[in-house]
Amino acid sequence: MGWIRKARALFRREALSAELEEELRFHVAMREELNMVEGMPPALARADAQQRLGNATLLKEKMREADLFTFAESVARDLRFAARMLAKHPGFTFLAVLALSAGIGINTAVFTAYKAFLLRPLDGAHPEELFNIYHSRPDQAYDPIVSYADYEGLRDNDRSFSGILAVTGDELTMTDAGAAPDAAPSLGSSVLSALGFRLPTTMSGAAEPVTAALVSDNFFSVLGVAAIRGRVFTARDAAELMERPQLLISENYWERRFGHDKSILGRTVKLNSRAFVIAGVTPRDFMGTFTTQVPDFWMPLRLEPLVHRNSDLLTNREKPCCTVIGRLAPGVTPARAQAETEALANRLLSLHAPGTEGSRPLTIQVAPGSPFQRPQQDPKLKLIVAVTLGAVGLVLLIACANVAGMQLARSAARQREIGVRLSIGASRARVVRQLLTESALLGMTAGSLALILSFWTLRILVVEAAAAMPIEWGTFALHIHPDGAVFAYVFGISLLASVLFGLAPALESSRPDLVSALKEEGMRFRLPVGNRGLRNTLMAVQVGICLFLMVMASLLIRSSSRTLDLRTGYEGRQVLQVNLSFPATLNYPPAKQTAEVNLIRRKLMALPGVTGVTLGRSPDGGGLRTAKILPAGRVIFYTFVLPNYFETLDIPLVAGHVFSVGGSDRLLVSQSAAKRLWPGEDPVGRTVTLDVSDQFHVEGELTPASHPYVVAGVVGDTRGVLLDGSDSDKIYLPLLDSQFAEQPILVRTHDDPRRLFHAIGGKLHAIDPNLIAGAMTLDDALRNTPSFVIARCSGLFATVIGLLGLLLASAGIYGSVSYAVVRRTREVGIRVALGATRHDILRQMVSETARPVTVGLLVGLVAAAIAARLVRAILGGLSGLDPISFGGVSLFLLAIAMLAAFLPARRALRIEPMAALRCE
Amino acid sequence: MHGWDITLHIQQISKEVLRVEEGSLYPALHRMEQEGWISSEWGVSENKRRARYYRLTPAGRKQLAAEENNWRNVTKAVARVLAFAGGKA
Repeated sequence: MGWIRKARALFRREALSAELEEELRFHVAMREELNMVEGMPPALARADAQQRLGNATLLKEKMREADLFTFAESVARDLRFAARMLAKHPGFTFLAVLALSAGIGINTAVFTAYKAFLLRPLDGAHPEELFNIYHSRPDQAYDPIVSYADYEGLRDNDRSFSGILAVTGDELTMTDAGAAPDAAPSLGSSVLSALGFRLPTTMSGAAEPVTAALVSDNFFSVLGVAAIRGRVFTARDAAELMERPQLLISENYWERRFGHDKSILGRTVKLNSRAFVIAGVTPRDFMGTFTTQVPDFWMPLRLEPLVHRNSDLLTNREKPCCTVIGRLAPGVTPARAQAETEALANRLLSLHAPGTEGSRPLTIQVAPGSPFQRPQQDPKLKLIVAVTLGAVGLVLLIACANVAGMQLARSAARQREIGVRLSIGASRARVVRQLLTESALLGMTAGSLALILSFWTLRILVVEAAAAMPIEWGTFALHIHPDGAVFAYVFGISLLASVLFGLAPALESSRPDLVSALKEEGMRFRLPVGNRGLRNTLMAVQVGICLFLMVMASLLIRSSSRTLDLRTGYEGRQVLQVNLSFPATLNYPPAKQTAEVNLIRRKLMALPGVTGVTLGRSPDGGGLRTAKILPAGRVIFYTFVLPNYFETLDIPLVAGHVFSVGGSDRLLVSQSAAKRLWPGEDPVGRTVTLDVSDQFHVEGELTPASHPYVVAGVVGDTRGVLLDGSDSDKIYLPLLDSQFAEQPILVRTHDDPRRLFHAIGGKLHAIDPNLIAGAMTLDDALRNTPSFVIARCSGLFATVIGLLGLLLASAGIYGSVSYAVVRRTREVGIRVALGATRHDILRQMVSETARPVTVGLLVGLVAAAIAARLVRAILGGLSGLDPISFGGVSLFLLAIAMLAAFLPARRALRIEPMAALRCE
Repeated sequence: MHGWDITLHIQQISKEVLRVEEGSLYPALHRMEQEGWISSEWGVSENKRRARYYRLTPAGRKQLAAEENNWRNVTKAVARVLAFAGGKA
């Protein structure tokens, strides 16, 4: 009860102070009166009364303490004092804030990105009510795709959801949309190309590819999202939609493709040559259920047959098509919804034809809505997240150790100030509290700086990256918002950091040692033993963490540079890959496609600088398929190529000869495939059959003939993108005339390939303006493969982390080591005066430093070796005990520490002994 | 009773043996009030001046009993020790 009154008293501090005053005044007045009655002269009576009362100010102070909370006041006082102290030492403050904000900033950035990317809810009102609904079967834990017919069954009968939507993505061809606004070269594109991403140059005619989300009629009403212009379609519009096909455009595409043209509503666009009316614009960056991509258009699923002729997507119950998401009905628990949906799904099973995939028993999972189907269950993703958060956490630790070192060095200088405070009656707890307040102020300053910096950096990166992506890739979006969780996180780690770097020095420097502290001389002469112990520990910790971090970073960098090594076994820089697509709208018969490709090949061959044109997929792995090779029974990659493929790509013929044009029963094998199939034997002349019956294939794609092939020759290995290198084992089959259309055209030039882009674009447009084509060099294509992108990103991340950690740690190690040595200048003077040789002293100084550094190195090495085993999965074949990473980093850190001890020690030795003795 | 009265009262009934250092009475009163043992209100004294009056609360009465008991035990113990020491001498 007391505290209520105390808290309430805070609001009437002025009145309270007057009351205290009055109460004491009354007492003095009464005493004065009594004194006068007893016969004292008035002046004496008053003085006596005052004297008997005692120190009025102190009394009032004590009464105030009893009457109200003074804690907040004292914190404010501490903060003011701390701010003054920090302002008085701008150099220290600047360095400490810099180091801390680097540490906190990188943590904030990673956390914000992690949250924006992986912990993002679905884009809609009250996202906590939205749930992903997916199948799971005994042999397949997770199957998100449901057929449209089954979806309708769920939608119409499931009462535990107030609405269930279905969505799928599609790529369509847009024609006759008019001229697009010019894209200004953005900062983002230069950043992306600096990071090594190559964007394909598109040479489009009248047709352009667009991305579309095909969504159920109720999509927008279930998500609770309205159009910013025009209107969204709803379930009630079914009849109207069929009669007058319409769709919605995303604000992002409206801007990028139509330059915010006000007349967009009611405009007709042709997708796959069917006319659609644009009925509305969805909000900027609205991506609904997609992860990071804003589709260009939102089209009703029920109109799917319009854009894909003869499609039975809507009626074929055996054809899975859609991701399904439901909004839970009020008052229904996810468990109940799961039970009801499961019962319903099992009833739907009976509608499937017996023996089909869809008729097998299943259970239904209802999981909290997320654009990632289930990020929390992917172990590799989890590992990456853990490694990332751990790495940036260590950077923060190094920053803290760094600042702790600075604090410790400073605390020696502050010993006098603290000594005075202790001696006039401050308790140790009070002094520690004051020092911690100072640390917290430092931490919070750094935290706010870090928050602003990291937020804007990320924001700019995302916006710029989105602007730089070519329009055909769709719109990239990531919602970077500093929300409550991010604030709490930054606040938390700043405070944690403050305690981490502040507590030990605060405890250390408040150790009561009044006498020597007050005597300016004594303090420095006494060897600060405890202080040195703490400093050694700090040094060992810094060295250990830094070693750990840098070994991990260098492992990552080395493993990614192995991936990024472009010694591929084929010419990639001088070969352009031209991907052609014949828009579905044109409906060309295969013969016409082949004729057109042949025409294009001839025209391209005639271009200046072109030395070869061939057909076939790039060796980097895109679209490669596997087959079981009989009689050996091994599964190996195969691809179709023209005979001049090897010559054009500079892949050497090792044995035998290349198959001839039009030949259909010969094949070539790569060296490593030959080694695997016929170890130690000559492969040329052998006969094999390729069995693809149980291998993955897309409907209607080119597959090997069923007749036997004879091995005509062996060619050199090319490197693919699989980390285990198994895609170097490859079989080349002859490409036939009738199969040209599906393969990329590869153009070899001895000129700068970039210069060829325009020429090729012109030729294609002249031949057939409806073609959609994109081109890039094979090297660039390889750089865009997922394993390259991942390797580059992780390499970049490791470099940033490693450099930051190295910078902080070497500054910290150097600083604390050299400070420790400098402080002993006087000791050096005495010992030299007593006859110690320079050699003795140097050796002692260096070896005393070496001890904690070695301990740190050993601990760090052991920790790194353990951690390297844990993250083997993402190292891609590099040995976890890579000697260069471990040895190199250890030696480097040891060298820094030794240098830090050696240089000041030598300086100390140069000083005349007498000067050293006198200097303090 | 206000602070001044308490001062005089203590002096009188203790026959001038216990002389409270006059000022230190007030912080003690305020702390006791925070504990809820006494309550206070502003009133007007006999000579028409505003003064703060303190009154024992039921909780205070209980606390007083407990403290009295405690004190008696202590003095009794001290008395016994002294008696023992006296007997020896």
